[in-house]
Amino acid sequence: MDVFGSFALLLAFLCAAYAFVGGIAAILTRHPLLIKSARQAGFATCALIFLATGSLVYLFFSDNFSVAYVVSHSNRDLATFYKIAALWSGQEGSLLFWSFLLSVYVFSVLLAYRNKNGELMPYVGVVMAGVQIFFLSLNNFVASPFKVLGAPAANGAFDLVTRADGNGLNPLLQYPEMVIHPPNLYSGYTGFTIPFAFALAALLARYPGEKWIHLTRKWTMIAWCFQSVGILLGAHWAYAVLGWGGYWGWDPVENASLLPWLTGTAFLHSVMMQEKRGMMKVWNVWLVFITFMLCILGTMLTRSGVVSSVHAFAQSSIGTWFVGFLAVIFLVCFAAYVHNRDYLKSENQLDSVISRESSFLFNNLVLLVACIAVLSGTLFPVFSEWLSGSRISVGSPFFNKVNIPLGLLLLFLTGVGPLLAWRKTSLDSLKRNFGLPAITGLLAGAVALVLGVGEFYAIVCLILCVFVTVTIGMEFYRGAKVIRARSGASLVGSAIDLTMRNTRRYGGYVVHMGMVFIFVGLTGAAFNRDTQKDMQLGSSLQIGPYTLVLQSFDQKPEQNYTAERMIVEVLKNNKQIMMLYPERRIFQTNEPSGTMVAISSSWREDLYVVYAGQNPETQAPVIHAYLNPLVKWIWFGGAIVVFGTLVALLPNRRAVLVLSGAQQPATSPPLTHALHPSVTFREGHD
Amino acid sequence: MTKSTNPRRNAASLATFLFVFAATAGVFVPPAQSQQTDRAKQIGGKFMCMCGCNQVLTQCNHVGCTVSASMLKELDQSVARGDSEQSITQAFVLEFGTTVYAEPPKSGLSLVAWLMPSVYLLLGTLLVIFVIFRWRQRNISLASSGAGAAGSTAGVSPELLARARAQSAEDSQD
Repeated sequence: MDVFGSFALLLAFLCAAYAFVGGIAAILTRHPLLIKSARQAGFATCALIFLATGSLVYLFFSDNFSVAYVVSHSNRDLATFYKIAALWSGQEGSLLFWSFLLSVYVFSVLLAYRNKNGELMPYVGVVMAGVQIFFLSLNNFVASPFKVLGAPAANGAFDLVTRADGNGLNPLLQYPEMVIHPPNLYSGYTGFTIPFAFALAALLARYPGEKWIHLTRKWTMIAWCFQSVGILLGAHWAYAVLGWGGYWGWDPVENASLLPWLTGTAFLHSVMMQEKRGMMKVWNVWLVFITFMLCILGTMLTRSGVVSSVHAFAQSSIGTWFVGFLAVIFLVCFAAYVHNRDYLKSENQLDSVISRESSFLFNNLVLLVACIAVLSGTLFPVFSEWLSGSRISVGSPFFNKVNIPLGLLLLFLTGVGPLLAWRKTSLDSLKRNFGLPAITGLLAGAVALVLGVGEFYAIVCLILCVFVTVTIGMEFYRGAKVIRARSGASLVGSAIDLTMRNTRRYGGYVVHMGMVFIFVGLTGAAFNRDTQKDMQLGSSLQIGPYTLVLQSFDQKPEQNYTAERMIVEVLKNNKQIMMLYPERRIFQTNEPSGTMVAISSSWREDLYVVYAGQNPETQAPVIHAYLNPLVKWIWFGGAIVVFGTLVALLPNRRAVLVLSGAQQPATSPPLTHALHPSVTFREGHD
Repeated sequence: MTKSTNPRRNAASLATFLFVFAATAGVFVPPAQSQQTDRAKQIGGKFMCMCGCNQVLTQCNHVGCTVSASMLKELDQSVARGDSEQSITQAFVLEFGTTVYAEPPKSGLSLVAWLMPSVYLLLGTLLVIFVIFRWRQRNISLASSGAGAAGSTAGVSPELLARARAQSAEDSQD
């Protein structure tokens, strides 16, 4: 099966090369058969990558310990569930998984548009094939997951070696979320290839109008949604498994996942200016390019060892390949831009400084500044070493200080944006719209002050969260009130109807609401408390209103590990409220051990209890307890963000009716040039 | 947008929000008692653990991490002796190098790291303001030269508008 996998990968590389070269030839000659064969080669590439991935999964399931990658990341006792996760737990497998997910996207795009957009698709196919060629080069020639174990034989050749068992999977990865976190994050990274391919293709083909934006909107939102889910699942995994009491440590790998998310978010906002007003064309194209380049940079940072991280794969020379690929991408994008920049001229200008357009500009500015600040902070140790010879670390205190004000500014703009109209907002309208949200927010801040909240940022965040919540509530209420007046339905029913009439706009508001909940949760971090104590049986530890009493401490052998377990009784006001079971898992085949944190979560706070090992001097078990306020709001907010994105992906109810009732003659000339560009026709694209 | 005119509803929503946030704001009340190791925690929060975990010293919890344990012990001893934060920092930098900083010091080359985000924001803001005003100026000059008049919908026939709307709806389904 390893030979089968290797062969499939090699064939996939050849097919991708044909799709690339054949695609270019098809663009130049416009020969229909060439176009078709390049597209078929694209399908074949994907199918072969699916086969190669399937064969590696099979090698894991069949415990084939003659393959080096299987030996390094699995063992016989590893639960079936985690044998799937083993696929992406190492350098080679994760790169194959990258290729696999990219193929899923490429296959879907080729299938969805096989009979549509004939002018654009050959270009799209070439760009996608180009990206596939890079990753298939790595899969085939740099980091093959199908390398077999060998030992030198007497005749100078190599004999195949099969090990009795493997080294097992990294204990930190033996956690259910680790089975779904990387696929989500990778789906985000790879997903941004599609908007990149369309943007570059549209630029190269000088494709008229904003059609490429409409074509890619869905794909961008899907990639963004996966990236969001991936980041949140990673944060939850860090919270529940790493046991340091937090969910975001500004680790370089965490930062790498945040960078394309920030620029992707900026794109999802600024793209509306192009759709509504024909503005920001250059900016949007470059935002897509930069987002894709940041995806590649993130993949490189995780794998090259340029920056140190607990999440990174082993240090390797693979970074050089990524640097080369990044250089190629940049040069191609830059050359395409220089050659075709007249195609990107704005159709409209700004009518007023106080307008939705301005708020989007500032929203983009803050997101970009946050992105650059995180990127420069992440790479600063490397730069400082180059410039001064000594490496200066940049840890979470720096990132928190820099990004908290930016985050709050962004939250403010989240509230302001919907209050401003496109083109121009009058002063009267401003007063009318800002009144209630601003007063409510300030009142909430005053209440917090009266209750004794002393943290400046927490109060500001609270004020802004209320401000944005009221803003969004007003948007739903006003729209629903109009529908209720017409239809007589309930307010909730009218709000649902309103949402379904313009899913993108109101789905977007739901996403904003989710972000508000996430900000509420993040604010809680300012009030975290923790304490650590050596325990004896029956001894207690006090944290906040909780008393933790150690009831038992033992060791229990399990199938793949030995568990050191604590049973901790939790009392509140001298009443038992629950039992918690923090443990440490010592795996049979790997030296590092895994922490299983016991968390009691409520909307108000998380009681987070870690068994921190034994005191080396007294052998007493140590409890590290944390009281983390409002953390649950982060996960809840994440779920709302996903829900809002899914709503935004739904087709508009009204748009469907318009479409079904408006049968246009096939011979209708394109409207792009017939209408004056300043006329705004788009509906449902707020 | 229309103005919300029902004062009772507004008052009710205001009360609801205040209730929700008053209910959750209770968690913001700071702890009444400070812990013994507060100073050590505060100073330790400015150092990285040198085991390679990339975590702040006081947050490194690798089971069996001998590096953080010994660093914390050294820190506790220094704090117990009453050493100043500056001398503790100097001792740690001498022992572990500049990689021990959790955040870059605000001097020399490291100052660049601190200044950069503010500079980006300032330059970006200036750029955005410049772009906004440039666009606005251009729009005003276009309008005054009469070109803006062509931008009105007056010259667009209802048939053309209907087709544009249909195309827009079709586009939005892609």
